[in-house]
Amino acid sequence: MAEKAEKTSAFSRFMNSNQTVGYVFAFPFIFGFICFSFIPIVTSFYYSFTDYSMGSKTLTYVGFKNFLQLFSDDVFIKSLGITIKYVLLSVPLKLAFALLVAFVLTRKSNMVTLYRSLYYVPSLVGGSVAVALVWKQLFARKGLINVVLADMGLKTVNWFGDQKLALYPLILMTVWQFGSSMIIFAAGLKEIPVTYYEAARIDGANGPQTFARITLPCLSPIILYNLVMQTIQAFMSFTQAFVITQGGPNNGTMLYALNVYNQAFKYNHMGYACAMSWFMLIVMSIITLVIFKTSRFWVFSEGGED
Amino acid sequence: MMKKLLVTLLSASMIAGMTGCAGSTAAAPAAAQPAEETAESPAEDSSEDAQEAEASEDGAEADTASAAEGEPVTLRMAWWGSQTRHDITVEVIEMYEKENPNVKIEYEFYDFDSYFTKLKTLVASDQVWDIFQLGGNFPEYLDKIYYMNEFIDSGVVDTSGISNAYLKITQDTEGNQIGLSNGLNTYGIAYDVDMFNEAGVPLPTDDWTWDDFADAAMKIHEHTGNFGSSGFTSSEFISGCSTYIAQQGKVGENSFFNLNLDGMGFDDAQMLTPYIKMRADLIKAGASPDAGAEMEITDIENDFLVTGEAAMTWVAVNQFPTIYDICAQEGRTLALATVPRVKKDGPSGTVIQSSQMLCVSQDSQYKEEAAKFISWFQNSVECNNVLKGERGIPINDEVRKALEAEATDGQKEMYDYVSLVGTFETPEKINVLSPAGQDEVVDNYRNYIQQVVAGDITPEEAADKTYADAKKLFE
Repeated sequence: MAEKAEKTSAFSRFMNSNQTVGYVFAFPFIFGFICFSFIPIVTSFYYSFTDYSMGSKTLTYVGFKNFLQLFSDDVFIKSLGITIKYVLLSVPLKLAFALLVAFVLTRKSNMVTLYRSLYYVPSLVGGSVAVALVWKQLFARKGLINVVLADMGLKTVNWFGDQKLALYPLILMTVWQFGSSMIIFAAGLKEIPVTYYEAARIDGANGPQTFARITLPCLSPIILYNLVMQTIQAFMSFTQAFVITQGGPNNGTMLYALNVYNQAFKYNHMGYACAMSWFMLIVMSIITLVIFKTSRFWVFSEGGED
Repeated sequence: MMKKLLVTLLSASMIAGMTGCAGSTAAAPAAAQPAEETAESPAEDSSEDAQEAEASEDGAEADTASAAEGEPVTLRMAWWGSQTRHDITVEVIEMYEKENPNVKIEYEFYDFDSYFTKLKTLVASDQVWDIFQLGGNFPEYLDKIYYMNEFIDSGVVDTSGISNAYLKITQDTEGNQIGLSNGLNTYGIAYDVDMFNEAGVPLPTDDWTWDDFADAAMKIHEHTGNFGSSGFTSSEFISGCSTYIAQQGKVGENSFFNLNLDGMGFDDAQMLTPYIKMRADLIKAGASPDAGAEMEITDIENDFLVTGEAAMTWVAVNQFPTIYDICAQEGRTLALATVPRVKKDGPSGTVIQSSQMLCVSQDSQYKEEAAKFISWFQNSVECNNVLKGERGIPINDEVRKALEAEATDGQKEMYDYVSLVGTFETPEKINVLSPAGQDEVVDNYRNYIQQVVAGDITPEEAADKTYADAKKLFE
């Protein structure tokens, strides 16, 4: 009997330990991460050195051929340029909007929660195909935007027919989904002690000055976080280009992820597509590293050690 | 408190799991194992598994290729096409299920591009639909096609009403029956008669040329502001670009890809130049939609010809009756013209071919049931009265007669057109197939045309690049 009681208590000790509880709760994520992220990542690394294509049961090792081929591929080089342009334009705009709206919505009013929810809605539905289709209609030759332009007596614009213009509606759509960064900014703004502002007001600082000297520095860690997250997300954008333009005209909106998709699933070069993905991983790592390295010059830490 | 609760919950679920395991170890083998055995050796222990078959659902026991009468069978089927096709195909599937209560057909339908994206993923996972639709691009999927010869020999597939010539259009050179053709088909240009008259442009003749075509498109655009010719979608590569090659020289002298599909069928890339130039000129002048406008066309039913914004469009003629009917409701009349030629007295370059076919998949558990459905689909008059030749002119003589007897105006126009093309001189041997990897060539080709429009490259360079891309497929 005593032995059994001891066992039970050992068992219940095991079940009650913080680690067990933690792992049990984390299990759904760990399972999903291993099955749907980790294993595919590892296999894609292997495939990137082969000529694997979906459907073929054999694959041969081709060494670095896929990686070398990247640099002689016109579509790849163009898509890389377009993606960088897309990221450079969409991320700063998106963060600026998010910060602006978050800042405006810090004032004390009963409607603030409602407004915040409303501004968050585009982020909830933003990635969906349905919204992309709506966007396609808005900017179509006879879409709402052009109808409004025509009514105002302006020239209509052939958004998706001109390879120099087609990227901008896509950028606009990304900027429009500023909700999640806005929520994070809003939380960050609340953390800034009111005493700083009071002191500044007593010293006679005006609005822009307090914003530049207090709000921005105190918020800089949050800005860093948002910048990194949004940059990574922007590099992976796919839905807009896939649904609205399919990369056209003349590959003017061929975002990187769409190009990878085409190579993998449309043209059946899975090995090549894997190599492209790994190349993107390297590019994104470098960019993230650069952001982190430069952050010491502009991120203000309240610890004051730097 | 929370931890206590968690412990209780977890141990409860563990106990439940354990007893569940114990229960199933006792009972499950009885249900599962014999069923698996029957799959391997259907002749043995038939007395026992009759009961087991009832217990287990439509699972392993029907694994044998020939499912006995009355056993539940689930077939998966997929196709691409327009909304009209989806509606009528679903209707005949329900009809078949009613006639064969043991057969359940799970269907999926897509537009052309998505269909092949999906198919490629299924090929990779060895789960291709039991019954699937393929066109001239079938060589890429040959590994997944189960030849129908054995079903024709055993009579499961009834070919008594189908003439040999029509069976041949879906055979390979060794006589393997790859599938059964959904119908005969050929390319043509559908046009709006009133728009031609309004612009004072003479209607197309049976031997009109590309110059006539471009002239008509330009004049109609100048006169009405509409597009002269609607979008050149991805099928234009076959119906326009590669036909243009076949039209040069003597009949059968040139073709885009060679007969064995292992190389190019013409030597001089510059043979493509005039065609590419014409296309780019039309787009530049606004007589043909640019890339942005082309994106607005999602299928033939919202083509600019159908919406009244274009005077002509490319069709595979099986699409014609559908758009004819839509336009007739708005009081507009459509007609079919032949694909323009390079020279008035030169080869037409067009051939009558299989529109698409239904194939049995290698991955199918019920190959015979799948073949049975395909046979019914092609041979049943009742079924084809619903399908109405939307996939092409039926290959079964009896079905064709039945349909011709009650053809609508649009269908009559289609039948007349196909007979007309049938009178054109064609080479003895033709190759209407596309090599694996052609998708990338087509996408690049369309981009080159856009680059010509933008002035980045010349038509000559576009021709060279297209030729080089196509040639690379065989290296």
